[in-house]
Amino acid sequence: MSRKTRVTVAAVATASALVLTACGGSSGEGEGGEGGDDPIQIGISLPLSGDFAEPGMGVQRGYETWAQVINDNGGLLGRQVELSIVDDASDPARVVSDYESLIAQDQVDLVFGPFSTRLVVPAARVAEEYGMLFVEPAGAAEEVFTNGFENLFYAAPAVAEDHYNLLFEYIMAMPEGERPETVGFASMDDPFAQGTAYGLRDQLVEAGVEVVVDEVYPPNATDFDAIAAAIANADPDLVVGGTQYQDAVNLIIALQQLDYQPRMAAFSTAPTNPEFPDAISEVNGILAPTGYSNDAPYPSNEEFVEAHTELHGEAPQEDEANAFTTGQVVAAAVEAVGCAEQGECQQQLIDWLRENTVDTVVGPLSWDEAGRPQSAHMILQYIDDEIQIVLADGDEGTQADLVYPKPEW
Amino acid sequence: MALVFQSVILGLLQGGLYALLAAGLTLYFGIMRVVMIAHAGFIVLGAYIAWRFTTITGLDPMLSLVITVPAFFLIGYAMQRFLIARLKPSTLTMMSVLLTFAIAMIIEGLIGLLYSGTQRRIALPYGTDSLNLFGASVPVVQIISFALAAVSLFVLYLVMKKTRFGRALRATIQNPEAAQLVGIDTNRTAGLGFGISLATAAVGGAALSLQATIWPSLHWHWIGPLLAIIVVGGLGSIPGAAIAAVALGLTQVLLEIPMGPTWAQTIFYAALFLTLMVRPHGFFGGRLAQRF
Repeated sequence: MSRKTRVTVAAVATASALVLTACGGSSGEGEGGEGGDDPIQIGISLPLSGDFAEPGMGVQRGYETWAQVINDNGGLLGRQVELSIVDDASDPARVVSDYESLIAQDQVDLVFGPFSTRLVVPAARVAEEYGMLFVEPAGAAEEVFTNGFENLFYAAPAVAEDHYNLLFEYIMAMPEGERPETVGFASMDDPFAQGTAYGLRDQLVEAGVEVVVDEVYPPNATDFDAIAAAIANADPDLVVGGTQYQDAVNLIIALQQLDYQPRMAAFSTAPTNPEFPDAISEVNGILAPTGYSNDAPYPSNEEFVEAHTELHGEAPQEDEANAFTTGQVVAAAVEAVGCAEQGECQQQLIDWLRENTVDTVVGPLSWDEAGRPQSAHMILQYIDDEIQIVLADGDEGTQADLVYPKPEW
Repeated sequence: MALVFQSVILGLLQGGLYALLAAGLTLYFGIMRVVMIAHAGFIVLGAYIAWRFTTITGLDPMLSLVITVPAFFLIGYAMQRFLIARLKPSTLTMMSVLLTFAIAMIIEGLIGLLYSGTQRRIALPYGTDSLNLFGASVPVVQIISFALAAVSLFVLYLVMKKTRFGRALRATIQNPEAAQLVGIDTNRTAGLGFGISLATAAVGGAALSLQATIWPSLHWHWIGPLLAIIVVGGLGSIPGAAIAAVALGLTQVLLEIPMGPTWAQTIFYAALFLTLMVRPHGFFGGRLAQRF
């Protein structure tokens, strides 16, 4: 390095140091301890690549819509919000280091949760170590709530085990002679999918309904002929799938091919997917639990659907809605407590959420000690090839009567 | 009993599809000692083309074969001549795994880029129809894919047994040096054989698109069972692959009754281990495997 170069480098370094010091000084002195008019920084790690990239990007869209809506309405505590989103590649190890660096190095004011039980649990652990409030949009399996987290809240109406609760209540309210007497279950070997099916199974067994088939298949299964044959052979009145998308589609078509005609058919996850009616020509009568509907009559929902459609070009689905709900839950606590920064404020936010109910796009939410939401999933049904909400908490949420027995498929 | 009969029918139909998908795979090995990891990738690509063809034109996905069979044949020929043939003969088998693994990744990436990771399924007017056979329901789409498999395998058999090209191909498989001595252009023959093998992936893809949802990484699910089938059947033997495919497909479906789907799918790997222990050159045919 020549002498001239050395001088230049030293000069640039000194100038940079001075500029940085000056910047640091101004933000510290001018705005007081509360952070003044600086934007509120929210740290989020999401699976934007890898196994969960599709739903991860859905969650990202929901968070972006929430940030835009809240900023358009004047921000949070009068300050704009800024999202710091990083990609964890669906890797539980990366999600840990992401939240570590967002909280400890970047000093974000708040954190929101990632997607999927597999990432929510390690992320919640980091947030708890730093005493941060941790509201998450997508960890519904029971193991999320049995880890003893004291900072975690799930921003959806119900945990997986409770998804079919309204359907169970409906079945129990039917006259004895009409009620399904036998039921067949097929479920993916996955905590969420199995949780939904077994929540209903255990209640039905207790109520005296006979389980005639109870199959479990691996997540990568593509051939459903044998499972469908077992179900068709036992011919239960009610068939329930603890399913994700592709397995539900393949299973339903396999059942249809064997001309098995149940009186009631319910599958989790798949029926709310926009691709579902394109993949299956006979969808009428199929039931599914859902945590969200574009048409749900909750006060903020219309604004959410409108803002989301404008920002992303299509109406929101469940992942987007749960992300938006996460934002609404945290915002309600921040507005009520009047602070949003690391430290004591976080415990105040947690304490407030333990005691209060928050109005969201998926309805009013409150939580138990472990962070389980205390509401119910709606039940939808395909009627005349359209999704209709047939069971909801309170009659004002329903759009049509449940069709039973279901039309032949 | 009704369930067992129903399962036997479904297992045989399933085995037919496996046979078609495995036939191409066993040929690559026979002709070139190439482990073609990308074969299942091409099957999924064929299925995507069939799906896209139907969504654009509204026509039956089977008609997409008019485009995909010749296209895959040309791609296979080009792949052999310009990529595989350039690998060093001494390390061919190992290097072909790496090369075709990369090709599989490229296919998966491109499909994901174009059509996202969303699962697709063609909704066919006859998608849920079935015929009644002595009390068992036989889905129409499975009959079609079985027929497709049977016709393709029969044509392949005729080509191998009855044509001059087939004789040249078999000679190339059995003894490349001797084949060259009697005037066979073994390079060109191997290229054509590779093309034919890949063309079967197009047919298999269309058959697959009729009866299952498809997504970009689906090929990883298929490649394991297919490799197991060709080892059990005897590398390089088309009848061997067909018999092993039907036997394993049928066993898998029947095992699901007592054991459930998770354990039943291990039959492919159990059969693979058993074959390697007891009869490493395969149970049906497969004199060739002794060379490795």
